[in-house]
Amino acid sequence: MTTTLTARRLTRDPVVISGVVTLLLWVVASLYSPAFATWGHIVTTLTVASFLGVIAIGQTLVIIAGGEGIDLSVGSAATLSAIVASRFMDGSDDGFLFAVLVALGSACVIGVVNGIGVLLFRVPPLVMTLGMIAVVAGFIRLYTGGRPEGSAAPLLNQLVTGDTVFGVPGVLWLWLALSVVVIWLLRRTSFGWRLYAVGANRTTAHLSGVNPSAVRFSAYVLSSLFAGVGGLLLLGYSQNVYTNLGADYMLNSVAAVVIGGTALIGGVGGYLGTIVGAVLLTVLSALLRTMQIGGGEWGTHRARSSSAWS
Amino acid sequence: MDSPPFLRMSGVRKRYGGVTALDGADFEAHAGTVHAVLGPNGSGKSTLLKVLTGVVGPDAGQVRLDGAPLRPRGPRDTLAAGISSVYQELSLVEDFTVLDNLVLGVEPSRFGLRDRRAALARSLPWLERFAPAFGGRVPVRERVSDLDPGERQVVEVCKALVRDPRVLVLDEATASLRRGQVEVLFEVVDELRARGVLVLFITHRLAEIYAVCDRATVMRNGTDVATVTVAGTPEAELLELMSGRPSAGTSGSRRTAPVAETDTAPTAPARTDPGADPAAPPRLEVRDLTGDRLHGVSLHVRAGEVLGLGGLQGQGQSELMAALFGAGRRTGGTVLLDGAPVRPRSPKQAVRAGFCYVPGNRGVQGLALGRPILENLALPSVGRRALLGVGLSRRREVAAARAVAERVNTRYGSLDDPVSTLSGGNQQKIVVGKWFPTEPAVVLMDDPAKGIDVGAKAEMFDVVAELAASGAAVLVGSSDDRELVEVCDRVLVMFEGRVVDEVSGDRLTEDTLIASAMHVTGADVAAAHEGHPTRLPDPEPRHAEEGGA
Amino acid sequence: MNLLRGTGTRDLPGPVRSLLSVHMPALAVGLLLLVTVTASAILQPGFFSPYGLSASFATFLPLATIAAAQTIIVLGGGIDLSIGTIVTLSSAVSVVLMQGDDARLPLALAAGLATGAACGLFNGLVVAVLRLQPIVATFATSSVFGGVALLVLPTPGGEVSPVLTGTYRMVLAMYVPIPAVLLVVLFLSWRLLRGSRYGQHLYAVGGNAEAAYTSSVPVSRVRVLSYTLGGAVASLAGVALLADAGAGDPTLGTELTLGSIAALVIGGTRLRGGSGGVGGALVGAVVLSLIQGLVFFAGVPTNAREFVYGCVIIAAIALAGLLTARDGSASGASGGTR
Repeated sequence: MTTTLTARRLTRDPVVISGVVTLLLWVVASLYSPAFATWGHIVTTLTVASFLGVIAIGQTLVIIAGGEGIDLSVGSAATLSAIVASRFMDGSDDGFLFAVLVALGSACVIGVVNGIGVLLFRVPPLVMTLGMIAVVAGFIRLYTGGRPEGSAAPLLNQLVTGDTVFGVPGVLWLWLALSVVVIWLLRRTSFGWRLYAVGANRTTAHLSGVNPSAVRFSAYVLSSLFAGVGGLLLLGYSQNVYTNLGADYMLNSVAAVVIGGTALIGGVGGYLGTIVGAVLLTVLSALLRTMQIGGGEWGTHRARSSSAWS
Repeated sequence: MDSPPFLRMSGVRKRYGGVTALDGADFEAHAGTVHAVLGPNGSGKSTLLKVLTGVVGPDAGQVRLDGAPLRPRGPRDTLAAGISSVYQELSLVEDFTVLDNLVLGVEPSRFGLRDRRAALARSLPWLERFAPAFGGRVPVRERVSDLDPGERQVVEVCKALVRDPRVLVLDEATASLRRGQVEVLFEVVDELRARGVLVLFITHRLAEIYAVCDRATVMRNGTDVATVTVAGTPEAELLELMSGRPSAGTSGSRRTAPVAETDTAPTAPARTDPGADPAAPPRLEVRDLTGDRLHGVSLHVRAGEVLGLGGLQGQGQSELMAALFGAGRRTGGTVLLDGAPVRPRSPKQAVRAGFCYVPGNRGVQGLALGRPILENLALPSVGRRALLGVGLSRRREVAAARAVAERVNTRYGSLDDPVSTLSGGNQQKIVVGKWFPTEPAVVLMDDPAKGIDVGAKAEMFDVVAELAASGAAVLVGSSDDRELVEVCDRVLVMFEGRVVDEVSGDRLTEDTLIASAMHVTGADVAAAHEGHPTRLPDPEPRHAEEGGA
Repeated sequence: MNLLRGTGTRDLPGPVRSLLSVHMPALAVGLLLLVTVTASAILQPGFFSPYGLSASFATFLPLATIAAAQTIIVLGGGIDLSIGTIVTLSSAVSVVLMQGDDARLPLALAAGLATGAACGLFNGLVVAVLRLQPIVATFATSSVFGGVALLVLPTPGGEVSPVLTGTYRMVLAMYVPIPAVLLVVLFLSWRLLRGSRYGQHLYAVGGNAEAAYTSSVPVSRVRVLSYTLGGAVASLAGVALLADAGAGDPTLGTELTLGSIAALVIGGTRLRGGSGGVGGALVGAVVLSLIQGLVFFAGVPTNAREFVYGCVIIAAIALAGLLTARDGSASGASGGTR
């Protein structure tokens, strides 16, 4: 009785469903091209997924917080953080920590502005964060003159790509650590419980003594912060930056979150699902690229700047 | 009544999962009559009407309208068959004007474009007929979002009438109407009857049934118990049919349980000690509080005392609680808690100061329905148990939640189940229980027993008594005078944002409360309606039964 | 239960409140238009010359058309993130069929229109029948459409029929460029749609789908049709782009989508649906284009232009948001209809 119940619950769990789909995709890919089944390829796939996974952390928080919450500016925050960090690092380990702090701080500014726009000016989050893309792109252009300079500190590069055991790069351990922190944040902190409550029913949360605006504001700032972390990881991975480094993560982070069972209405879901969603999307795009179809939005950095509106 | 029935439903069955909502119900009604459908919560009357209007498909049974079989698959089919329904949950588009709402889905058009003139021609007669219900105006171009709840309900009625129905279903349509609006509605119902329309009428107010209905079908446990002629049936007999037990007559005393409440559990035996020590200083004192709809409210509640807020609905009771809780506007006056002034600017500050708030509208204001019971119970106090205000221990949270669930006597499967899986009564206990860990000094309850069944209601009020016994000052607002009589030590009668009467001790009976509310309004009502005959002994819009089966 | 409602306009009499709330967005966007046009006239030399007008309207039209398409969808309670790729796909199909030959123009236009409508229909079915979240579903279809567009036209290019480009640049009666005429035609078509029963149902479904359903409005059909119409109108934007640029470009996708959403929000359309209109979106698109031009002509240093442009747009959106926010919008309970 209880086992069938558990089984039924499992088959309805979006995380489980997405996990199964991911495995199926991987099996199909391995059949199509045996290279997929190699350890090296699996590690590469997970590495590619890790950047999306980290950037989607904040997206998960913002979407759980509800109120039509969504953060399309995560890609911009990632790019900005990478560009700022690369300029401050400029290929050397001196002042590493300072560079990281400045980079993350600049990313947080985006979150603060988003929060103000959404909560104070009542701009719909989709529009506010969309508008921020243009602002950040413009700022990057102003800041870099269109040609970003500098490069990653060797230390950062080492942290991200450095081989640990069995060819597992450091970035995967970082992702694991961040995942543990985020899952703890959502499940075992008062902030996490309030976040879900605000997302599920803002009025109830308000009337239970929670300040919904503070919670949602934190979500937007955290979103930019984690996107900034993702940007740093991307910088460490590619060593150099370009002005649309993070552009592809804008909607893919949303997709990863939603595939992982976090509903756009808010108050439902969690980060475990997002991890599965990020891996699923990565396997899917790798498969499509191998089969040479699609080549749509994800994984192929488009040549054109995605900053202009028209 | 010798003609064949206009509407005949036979052997209708409907199960929702493991729950039988309708168990072979039969129902017959004639054209040109007003037919009441009565029954306690969960008796199946809502489901029966949902089957008729096509919202729910029956598992078995037949519906025949005017001799022809009816198998509606949705609102479009029922509309085509001439059945119009006035819904409890409003079916209006708030952004639309009244006119646009009235003809929504049936817009007349010419050459592919909407024909405004034709729409007006169809709608205007009804709006004009109901003008007194809109305070004398004909709000053709006003947006629905700018109307008050009563006016919206009237628009809802007009919308059903514009569809020119042969069968009109009024499902709790009077629940949010003011007295004058109900009168206009009943006049129109009389006219419809004369024109041969069948009106199906669902209400909880027996008085309205006697005022307007010809026949009544009583439902119980998913089937029809009896169909009677209203004029020849005394109230006691109707109550008896509904409850299935002989009635003992109505009584208003706090210690004698009134008839409809004897259903399952005994009522509130906990309050043996009536009120607190009258000499004790007040726990909560309010002086000249002003704000939205509040024009200088003064009151005081002692520790352990349950103070009721009575009077007609919408006289500032809800606004008073909201203002005290920092959720509503407060423009002046003083609030003293244990002698010290408090002025919370948000619910968060109010909670910190020792207030708690229990709304009646739990789905919207009291619970995060999709979240686990555990989180709902923890929400107001979660920061207090957290390590450094952040880190939670699951074991500690579970222990705290268990303790509360036990105190309020909630039955649940697992604390991790969504709170929406609980019954309405148990949900409401969660809404109250979540405040226990905050050890509130003042408990504000706004219609806390709204839409829960009698057994759960009694248990709810046990909880209220327990809160009071623990030293809290309890303020209970309710639109149900019977509830107030049962649970309160004193009741303040409010009118237009002021306290106009205090009822306590032996005077505290349902009759006194009604009289007090009426007495205050008598002159005003007469002035407003220029001497319309007062037909109903119960002037007050009672809250609607929520959900049904 | 209006515990959390703001007070704002509550004290005004009903009809006044109704008037205010209906016309506030129009006032806001009208004001923006006035400001941007005045500024353009001052800063932009020859703004009101026949050539200046023609050039301006030529750039307005594509964005305005996409904004109109997106508005139709948003009004019905949806959103289409694939609308930009529908534009590129349909224009790619058109330009490939056209091959610079005037005789093939009708065929190419018909094929483009059909492509757009088909993409929209597909979106509508996915959203209304499979009940996927519009944001996610249309994001997914956008990569499909974008991929197909790259298959049809791998690189920017193709040859547009000379009649098309020629007509697009024509100026009637000295001061009336063809794109301006088309803009007016677009608006009039919208008014026709708005006046029809379908137009009313679109607003009802976006405003309160449940109420629409109980009022016997065919909700799913209305939704599917809104996406289809949106797709068809988007393909018209594709034609305008071709005519303006003289060649096809398969990579524009996302930017057009973002522009369409910004334009409709500035134009006072509520992103949750049921309120607003294409008229506002057209003006919003014009305002957006004008701002872009202004930043150029105002002598902003090259590298700061994008930044200034972005900031101005955010300010415009915030202004529109402030002026159109009605009580209840910020305090509503969870969930909503969907």
